[in-house]
Amino acid sequence: MSDSISYLKQQLINHISLCFNLDGKELLESRLIRFDCLENALNSTERTIFIPTDVPFNEAYDDIYHAEFNQTTLTLWNRLNLSAYDNWRPISDESAPLWYQNSSGTLISAWNLFGNLMHTLTFAEEKSHPQKDSHGRYTAAFGPRLKKNLLEVPVFNDAAAVLVAGCSGLKDGNDPLYEIKDLVKPPYLALSHDCDLLRGNDKWTQAVRAYRTIIPLKKLKFPAMKNLWWIVRNCYAPERYYFDNITGLIELEKSFGYISTFYLINGQGGRFGARSSNDMIKKLVRTVPSDWALGIHYNYNTFLNEKNFIKQYAELSSLTESNLICGRAHYLKFDPFRSFQFLAERGIKIDESSGYTDKIGYRNGIAGAFQPYKSQREITQPIWELPMTIMDAALVKQYGDQAVDRFDQLMNHLSKVGGMMSINFHPDKFFNPEYKELNGIYHKMLITARQYNAKAITGPLLLDYLQPV
Amino acid sequence: MTSVLEDYLNGIADMLYISFEKYGKIVKLAINQEISMDIQLIDDGEEILCNQFYNRIYKRNRTIDQWRWEFAQNNYKSSPIPYARVMDESQVVGTQAFIPIRMIDIDGVFWTAKSEETLVDPDYRGRQLFEKMYNFLFDYARTNQFACIWGFTPAIKAFKRLDFSFPGKVDQIFIPFQNKSISLLLKKEDRSENVNFKNKLKRAVFLIAGLVAQGISMVRLNLNKNSPLTGLAIKRWDKPDEQCGELCKQFIQQWGGTTIYRDAEYMQWRFFDNPYVKCIVKGVYDQDRLLGWVAYNIGDDGMGYLIDLILIRADYTVAPKEIIKQLLIEAAIGCRNMGASGIRGWHANNHPFDKLICEAARDVGYYHIRKGHETVIYFCETGKVRNGYTNFDNWFVTRINTEGVHG
Repeated sequence: MSDSISYLKQQLINHISLCFNLDGKELLESRLIRFDCLENALNSTERTIFIPTDVPFNEAYDDIYHAEFNQTTLTLWNRLNLSAYDNWRPISDESAPLWYQNSSGTLISAWNLFGNLMHTLTFAEEKSHPQKDSHGRYTAAFGPRLKKNLLEVPVFNDAAAVLVAGCSGLKDGNDPLYEIKDLVKPPYLALSHDCDLLRGNDKWTQAVRAYRTIIPLKKLKFPAMKNLWWIVRNCYAPERYYFDNITGLIELEKSFGYISTFYLINGQGGRFGARSSNDMIKKLVRTVPSDWALGIHYNYNTFLNEKNFIKQYAELSSLTESNLICGRAHYLKFDPFRSFQFLAERGIKIDESSGYTDKIGYRNGIAGAFQPYKSQREITQPIWELPMTIMDAALVKQYGDQAVDRFDQLMNHLSKVGGMMSINFHPDKFFNPEYKELNGIYHKMLITARQYNAKAITGPLLLDYLQPV
Repeated sequence: MTSVLEDYLNGIADMLYISFEKYGKIVKLAINQEISMDIQLIDDGEEILCNQFYNRIYKRNRTIDQWRWEFAQNNYKSSPIPYARVMDESQVVGTQAFIPIRMIDIDGVFWTAKSEETLVDPDYRGRQLFEKMYNFLFDYARTNQFACIWGFTPAIKAFKRLDFSFPGKVDQIFIPFQNKSISLLLKKEDRSENVNFKNKLKRAVFLIAGLVAQGISMVRLNLNKNSPLTGLAIKRWDKPDEQCGELCKQFIQQWGGTTIYRDAEYMQWRFFDNPYVKCIVKGVYDQDRLLGWVAYNIGDDGMGYLIDLILIRADYTVAPKEIIKQLLIEAAIGCRNMGASGIRGWHANNHPFDKLICEAARDVGYYHIRKGHETVIYFCETGKVRNGYTNFDNWFVTRINTEGVHG
């Protein structure tokens, strides 16, 4: 079996065990599913599901179709063309099939399931589109999926749900199922907060406000005086809407029975660096209840820099008096082909950096955790990636008044196909008149999540659920 | 002619109730040829239909878990659930329920019921369905020796017909953090599209009044903040303190009257297992001894709610009023930090502790607003006659007496 097949199977096992009332290992290692070449699949007469592994991936995204499944709509692409084979017919919906079936009952996934999943999990899109922004990051705008409106499609979750439904039908000697209500667990929520600012009066924040005041002058407009008010306000009440929001967030989450992770940044200061003192970090650590998790927000200057990273990690471990195993990059500055190994070698077990700064979306096509793919022989890396799907400002910028409705739609979909939604809400933006458009959004998102019976989980808890790396 | 026939048939139905004394029996009520309804206590599996009816009428999304928490999982015997429903064919057209709740007075703990889920399909009003459902529940109350049935409602007409008494309204104590909280409190949202001078002026006055009110509250809140509670500590709970029940007994011995018996089991159900919104509860301690607590949270409407506040006198040096002030401030700042637009709590009557809360609340910037629902109480004849509990000023009532939707 090739490395990539073992790799994908392992990711499916982990995901299915976490998100379904099933043993993923038992399912994926049963005789019900076979990952094999298309030719073998076409010649088979076994009552088995075949996932063709040698169909070339097509990045044109020009054959997107929608299939109804378990009371939601799946968005699929790269449909297999089996029209030349008389004994294979599309089932469920001829124009938008999930399966092809022959007269013996053999099933083939109707789209390039293997290729699509490997493409997104291994950051293949980013290899073929090497553009970077001024921070050296890959953004949603560079990729073809944004133009095709596919960023918010959890291709991995959709595929896993279809496989679960297919196997469940076959196991009982029937055709594949299309309703799996009782098999899907309610969605998980991985809530997290990048604590970039714990006081609103640091010189960089105040300087940015001062600059914002005079920006309109360049267009011969009246200065944005309200920024002066924020400057004054945070001079006499620096923690209002900053540190005070930490306790607000904790109590708000507690009132829903949820928990979250706080990512703390220390080390070198500056425009893109840490802006909180170590004393404030200690104060935060004392405030966060033991059920909540603490993680490291990798400082901008630690990007692939061993010396700086070790220094930040050691200092933060000392401040928090804990072994930090979760992290996310400040400004999401990370390299999908080098950062995982770098982080894993330095103690990080769960990373949440794989998200977009400019849009919401599933960068790796998965609402959940996966092990980054490495290379031959050593196929997985000893670290889990939990891609960040939603960041506060991006959600509101993208959807405005419809932000919570869009979140509702995403949660509704995950409630049908299973999955875990990773959300990053900055404490200073969760409730702050300076960012009026974000006020109340987090609360409404939690209300929505409660409606789907979502369960919150943190990195350390997630590690307990997942198979050992 | 139809009404004469209805009266006649209603009379027959009333007779039938006498012959079916045990709750749970089906009474077929033929009001006219078109309608054939059965009224009974809920059967297993009907909760989904009842919940769908509630969601249809109120246009809400109450989940079945929320229904079960409220009506089936409280600390009373699990079957039958005191939840009456009317079915027309296979459709629920009316509901009325009790939430059994223990109260405590100087003589001890006793059972009462909170009236809840009063709902009749608008197409079926005027047919005394409410009264007929209540007949089942009165039976239930008699059988289980409930002392009284109580509730809070804006619509008292139907309760009048059932001999409920109306001892007074519950007022509000309130701090606005944002102007929209005032509209929420008054339930008056300005949706007028007419931007004439009068409306503009009205909005401006409303805005200025709101800002002034917020300013005054904030000054008072800040002036009273951080007042030292020498030797005492305020701690947030992750679970109820086992001392709750004993504290509740001492509270009644010291402050008199009657109130909900808040033992650890009740607190767990009411605050920590609440599937709508769980309360933030902070206890005040002298070393390890529990002296009282405050419970608050933010409702789905964005308003903060002061749910409960209770305190006993002990050998501490700080005046009780000062401790109450700090607990009220904890609640106000806690709600504000959660992003609430304001905080509101109840002030019900002249119970000495309620009066003290109201005084302390005014001192720290809360406003007393005389606006709220009517209290309805029915004193069951079979219930043990309690010491003075028929006087509503003896009832210590907070928002813990509410259904729990807002915490």
